[in-house]
Amino acid sequence: MTPAPARATVHRLLRHGRFWLGGGTIALVLLLSLIGPTIIGQDPTQQDLAHRLTDPFWGAHGTSTHILGTDQLGRDTLARLLAGARVSLFIGVATVIVSGTIGTLLGLLGGYFGGRVDLAVNFIVTIRLTLPVVLVALVVVAMVGSSLTILVLVIGLLLWDRFAVVTRSATQRLAHSDFVIAARCIGSSTPRILLAEILPNITGPLIVVATIELAHAILLEAALSFLGLGVKPPLASWGLMVAEAKSQLLFRPWQIAIPGVALALLVLAVNLLGDALRDVLAPEGRV
Amino acid sequence: MGRFLARRLLLTLLVVLVTSIVAFSLVHLSGDPAAAMAGEGASATDVAAIRRLYGFDRPLTVQYFAWAADVLSGEFGRSYYLRESVVQVLAEHAPVTALLGSLALGFALLLAIPLGVLAALRRGGMMDRLASALAVTGQAAPSFLLALLLIYVFGVRLHWLPISGNATTAHYVLPAITLGMYATPALLRLTRSGMIEVMQSDHIRTARAYGLAPWRVVLRHALRSAIIPVVSLAAVQFGLMLGGSIVVEAVFSLKGLGQLAWESIQRSDIEVIQAILLLTSLVYAVLTLLADLLNALLDPRMRLT
Repeated sequence: MTPAPARATVHRLLRHGRFWLGGGTIALVLLLSLIGPTIIGQDPTQQDLAHRLTDPFWGAHGTSTHILGTDQLGRDTLARLLAGARVSLFIGVATVIVSGTIGTLLGLLGGYFGGRVDLAVNFIVTIRLTLPVVLVALVVVAMVGSSLTILVLVIGLLLWDRFAVVTRSATQRLAHSDFVIAARCIGSSTPRILLAEILPNITGPLIVVATIELAHAILLEAALSFLGLGVKPPLASWGLMVAEAKSQLLFRPWQIAIPGVALALLVLAVNLLGDALRDVLAPEGRV
Repeated sequence: MGRFLARRLLLTLLVVLVTSIVAFSLVHLSGDPAAAMAGEGASATDVAAIRRLYGFDRPLTVQYFAWAADVLSGEFGRSYYLRESVVQVLAEHAPVTALLGSLALGFALLLAIPLGVLAALRRGGMMDRLASALAVTGQAAPSFLLALLLIYVFGVRLHWLPISGNATTAHYVLPAITLGMYATPALLRLTRSGMIEVMQSDHIRTARAYGLAPWRVVLRHALRSAIIPVVSLAAVQFGLMLGGSIVVEAVFSLKGLGQLAWESIQRSDIEVIQAILLLTSLVYAVLTLLADLLNALLDPRMRLT
């Protein structure tokens, strides 16, 4: 793989429709989750039992104080939606940092050294794939208790396999390339070769994997929270909001639709961004 | 082939062994399962009694080997909550999940293969766009949201299908669609890319040059080679769905392994949790083994790795 000159890559990205659509949506969600709460001035955990289950603005009894209405405890839905966006993005990004570090290191080692090291890495990847993700995450959270840190660690420890597989095969291709042999000849240390020579040359596929796992992590957090073993009340999470509104399916389906659609749109945006990045950064194959 | 088979079997055994250690350790992560089993507000003597009764006071390694020995002789312990042997509990719940998984996989394949073939035949055409849209949305839609959407449309609004429980086959329709949609994007992409590759190969060009009917070329010759990796992936996806059916079973109140796992986790029924973890991993390991063997049987190059 010959890395395209940086400027040409950026140029192609900027002309990619899905890059703008996906990236723009993510940027918008990020921006809203950061500055939105101060603008609407509602506390996402403030209960107001006198104003439970009020309609959103398009409903018959909609008000302008609670634009998207309130939930069964009288908490402002919009405020919770924005707080949930923060949680989703934080857990997603933090998880990718954890899983990316683990997977990339394992992949570099296996791909560079080959032989027994590679066998061991392969074996660890196989074990990881054999363990059912949702089940293991639920068990750990139930046993250890749930906090944002634990969720990030658990999800991060479960989603590194693709990083490892992609890094491993990319490293294998580069391990015998001229510049790596040259680095070895001038006496560079192995960590230097791995981190300063090989790693910068495989960032393309790694960024693509990062978007896949970002979407994956956001969905997993939502699923865990939906099952009651993820983000705990009074913190807001989109999965938790859907779970709390489940009993309202018959009369107030929008209470499910609002966090649910937000979640699907965010994940869709991440996938679109990933598609665009793959087209530009790793066109030689799907990862 | 013999050596490949032996090596692959050994690897599967090792994987299952390590997985069993992981399953055991996970359940003992909290240090003392007895406290969780006794529940909040239990007295210290009660907790101590439970600890002795289940042997939690023994060293962890001793407990692991005792459990492993029991498992090897087909004994998975007793569910303290359901007051039944774990084997019996699993036997009650496993058929539901197996049926759900089979229906879901059937749905996914019926959707993915025809659509993937049509998309590959006319790249960039209507079908290709539809397939790509389906793959992208299928990947982005959280399964609990899809489940609730189906419940709302087909259960609440149209009254076409039951939405909770597993009394009749009709109860499985919506859960199977939800779970099947989860497996569809990967199968669809693989069918499409496989067909595109095969349609450009020499033997298809030859078959075309001989003047065979186009549908015959596609169905009898191209699809036959493109479908092999799809079948292997389907086996792996089936294993993944068993683990992923927790959310679907929870939403639809299907009394399968997923629902059992979820409830057992909430009531710290550790013997059941251990058994389900082990069983799910075992099924996945065996299915990947079968998928690998299938690949090796059909493509001798695979036997080298």
